[in-house]
Amino acid sequence: MKPNTFSCAACLLVLLFGNACNTPPVPPEAARAHALEQDLWRAGGSLFAPEEYEKFKAGLKTAEAMIGEEEAKFGWFRDYKEVRAVLGSLVTEGESLLERINEEKAGRERTFTLSAEALAARIGSLIAISQYFNENEDVRKNVTQAEIKLAEARRLVAKEQYDPAAKAAGDGGVFLDRAEEAAVRILDRYLDPGQLEKWRRVADEAVGESRKKSSVVFLVNKVERKLTVYKNGEVRGSFDIGLGKYGLADKLYSGDDATPEGRYHIVKKIPASKYYKALLIDYPNDADLHDFAAARKTGLVPGRAGVGGDIEIHGGGKDSLTRGCVGLDDKDMDKVFEWARVGTTVAIVGAVGVENTILAEIRKFKDRT
Amino acid sequence: MKHLTKTVVLVLAIAVVLTGCKQPTQLINDVQAAVDKVTSAGADKYAAEELKAINDDLGKALGEIDVQGKKFFKKFGPAKDMLAAVQAKVAELEAALPAKIEAVKNAAVQLQGEAQAALTEAAELLKKAPKGKGTAKDLQALQADLTGAETLFTEIQTALDTQDYLGAADKAKTVKDRVAAITEQVNAAIAKVKR
Repeated sequence: MKPNTFSCAACLLVLLFGNACNTPPVPPEAARAHALEQDLWRAGGSLFAPEEYEKFKAGLKTAEAMIGEEEAKFGWFRDYKEVRAVLGSLVTEGESLLERINEEKAGRERTFTLSAEALAARIGSLIAISQYFNENEDVRKNVTQAEIKLAEARRLVAKEQYDPAAKAAGDGGVFLDRAEEAAVRILDRYLDPGQLEKWRRVADEAVGESRKKSSVVFLVNKVERKLTVYKNGEVRGSFDIGLGKYGLADKLYSGDDATPEGRYHIVKKIPASKYYKALLIDYPNDADLHDFAAARKTGLVPGRAGVGGDIEIHGGGKDSLTRGCVGLDDKDMDKVFEWARVGTTVAIVGAVGVENTILAEIRKFKDRT
Repeated sequence: MKHLTKTVVLVLAIAVVLTGCKQPTQLINDVQAAVDKVTSAGADKYAAEELKAINDDLGKALGEIDVQGKKFFKKFGPAKDMLAAVQAKVAELEAALPAKIEAVKNAAVQLQGEAQAALTEAAELLKKAPKGKGTAKDLQALQADLTGAETLFTEIQTALDTQDYLGAADKAKTVKDRVAAITEQVNAAIAKVKR
């Protein structure tokens, strides 16, 4: 063999082996598709888009099989063109699926946030309302349960567990329904136009008397928790008050912890009372005795309970729980005590206006229930 | 004699080749059954990452079997090795799973205990709190709040009983946090009286 022929043969061999070793690589889209599959799994593909996720996995399996077939061939004969096209469209599908899943999750989070905000607003409203009446056990108990359920729902949403979160929020809503029902039960008569008219009449008469006789009159508004002092029909002072556990109810008998409603008079001024200073009123009046007798007949009065008495406006603090009296802070009691005379009219009413914010809230609860 | 030896060698060689060409069906079934078993034992909930890796490896092994199944000269050896590796991982996870579940359960039970302790503490505090003028109303409301929290406490036990340890832990933590807030409010009411 001549040197030239030898060189040519050597070159051909190098070219041949060079080409054989120049095996086309597995398309990079394969790694991307695998990474996408992991991302889809982590994003909750099987939960949020089960069919599409399974389809993606099946597509990936097919592509892998195609790669396997190509890899089984001698390097020179491998051709990844077809599988590359398959992987390319798979990656596009996967990326769009991942985007859809993330959008779905964001949407569900937005929906949850809205319902959580609505629940939180209802909770806030009920807590605010419950400050206005002391017979609030049922309301508070259910509101607390709703708060816990809402907190649980928020925890679940943070873990992207939207269905259990929706269930917990739904349970919270049920507790709030119960709380609102309880509040409506307590304050229902405050929405009765007939009852409101009766209270308005009592209040108007008392203020009219103050104007006509140039006298001092005390008007106690139970739902507003206010004692207003009138002189010559003009407001001279307004003070926050506290009532008994069932202060919003009309007193019927001894021990019911309710505050009487109607027109009363101060019968005694007590400068040194157990509760700082006190003004005793003439409960029961004739109307109270009449109501008591009627209630006894219909079995509304338990056991041997009497009609009760010793209802006072006294000091000791507006935050206290009285047994039916009207409680004021001592500094306010000093002023009220100054205005008071034996014989001063005390009008006690549930409410005087329908525009009251508390009643507006209760009306909302009633409409919902 | 010489012919007989050649025939035996040929038959043996064919047998060896054919045996190597057979799909490892039994092994596939065994591995699949083991994966199903560990999944239903709670791996999907308490060892999701590990289970996902196992399922991925199983998928790759089955893919390799598919590829080999289409070839004339089938070579299932690497696929068998892959299946065996999956089987080993499943066995490892199966052995580790009870400890993983136990750890989550213990954490939930501990949180339940903490929630219970918080409830007891709040109840004691409410009992001892001075119910005089100025606090009675607040304390009565807080007692109602505590009753509400106490009512939901039973849900923790129900979750534990149904082996929903992650759910139980979440519930216990939520109840504990709410009770802690109530305790804070009781202390504030007491402080109001002392001022």
